[in-house]
Amino acid sequence: MDETVRQRLEAAGINVEEALERFMGNEMLFQRFLKKFLEDESYRKLEESVQAGDPDGALKASHTLKGVCGNLSMNVLHGLLTEQVAAFRAGDWERAVSMMGDIAQAFSQVCSAVQSL
Amino acid sequence: MERTEGRRQADTILIVDDSEINRGLLENIFSRGYRIREACNGQEAMEQLADGRESICAVLLDVVMPVMDGMEVLREMNAQGWTEEIPVFLITAEAGSDVLREAYTLGVMDVISKPVVPYVVQRRIGSVIELFSARERLSSKVAEQQDEIFQQAQQIIELNMGMIEALSTAIEFRSGESGAHVRRIHDITRHMLLHTKLGEGLSEETVTHISMAAVMHDVGKIAIPDNILNKPGKLTPEEYEIMKTHTLKGAELLEKIPQMRDHAAFRYAYDIARHHHERWDGRGYPDGLRGAEASVWSQIVAVADVYDALVSKRVYKDAFSVETALDMIVGGQCGVFSPELLESFLAVEKELRGLYRPGAGQIS
Repeated sequence: MDETVRQRLEAAGINVEEALERFMGNEMLFQRFLKKFLEDESYRKLEESVQAGDPDGALKASHTLKGVCGNLSMNVLHGLLTEQVAAFRAGDWERAVSMMGDIAQAFSQVCSAVQSL
Repeated sequence: MERTEGRRQADTILIVDDSEINRGLLENIFSRGYRIREACNGQEAMEQLADGRESICAVLLDVVMPVMDGMEVLREMNAQGWTEEIPVFLITAEAGSDVLREAYTLGVMDVISKPVVPYVVQRRIGSVIELFSARERLSSKVAEQQDEIFQQAQQIIELNMGMIEALSTAIEFRSGESGAHVRRIHDITRHMLLHTKLGEGLSEETVTHISMAAVMHDVGKIAIPDNILNKPGKLTPEEYEIMKTHTLKGAELLEKIPQMRDHAAFRYAYDIARHHHERWDGRGYPDGLRGAEASVWSQIVAVADVYDALVSKRVYKDAFSVETALDMIVGGQCGVFSPELLESFLAVEKELRGLYRPGAGQIS
């Protein structure tokens, strides 16, 4: 993988080496799925559920997003979502919602890094 | 057997996850060793399992999914008994201990956490698939062998029966009988045991043994000289005494064959050979048994033997009509039978006539 691309992804909180290992060295597939991530609807559903005050929907969306981020080694975003899922599970709506700012920022960093591929 | 045959071709992993990225990742890990099918929610997974289950060697199941989630799939698979046939793996980002406990109770093989590590999922899933297929091969081998053993046992039983019939027919042949006589005694005995109250409480297997034993009722005739056995006219009292010994000689002969003595049919064969000329009034031979002292099967063979002799042509007589034969039996001209036995015999006698049509086979 091009070193500048790698650095850009790493800067957005993606552990490229770990991700490639998970894709068994298949760079093409990794990049294809990074682009698929832009189409993933979980983040939009998370925002909508939070706005609508729907704890079940928010938990599901956060959980799903966390799973995908984990598999793509988006470690910063994955870490934030892990905390948020735990907060939703514990019924701590306030805390979970208060994390939305950090999550939004990490999400947009990942997206712009991926868009530049 | 059918299930086993199908399972052996199982080479497809069913990946169930609502995220295309997660499915693609797992597909990339397994596509070199297996065929892959995908479902993006539980309901689709159930549909695939319902119509192509025999090709599926493992199910990789996400927990949180729209429409129908992973735990619902698991409950349904468990209820159908499918978790016994197909190993199911939960692939989940995190699951509470309640979920884990329920999953294992429902028969999940393993729980693998996201994000997945390729080497780990390959090893854990691959070895369970191998285990299931080895178990399948083994149980299909065992089923095959059981089938073979069963067939061999059947052949042995048929061979036994064939040899007993051959021996009995050879002996009957001396007195000008064909194999049809022993065949008919067999069939009448079997029919009466299966279709009248005389056979009440006897298992199918016992009925088979008794019917087989009935075939040998006259083997003692081998010890009777030709001039007596085939005498067209009436026997002198001395000749008749010799003729009567065929009952004891038959029992004695059967007792001397070790393989016969160990056979489940032996006690019936011995009893029938010895007692098929006893009479209800105690004036039969050789033991003068009275009433129910003679076994039901000896009594059945006695009446069957008389009936068959009357309606068939013999060296010493022509065939009587069925009506005459029945009159003679009921009138006590050919022995004395128990009222119960006669009642049962008359109740099925019309069915027995079928045995005397040309080319008739077994009726029951």
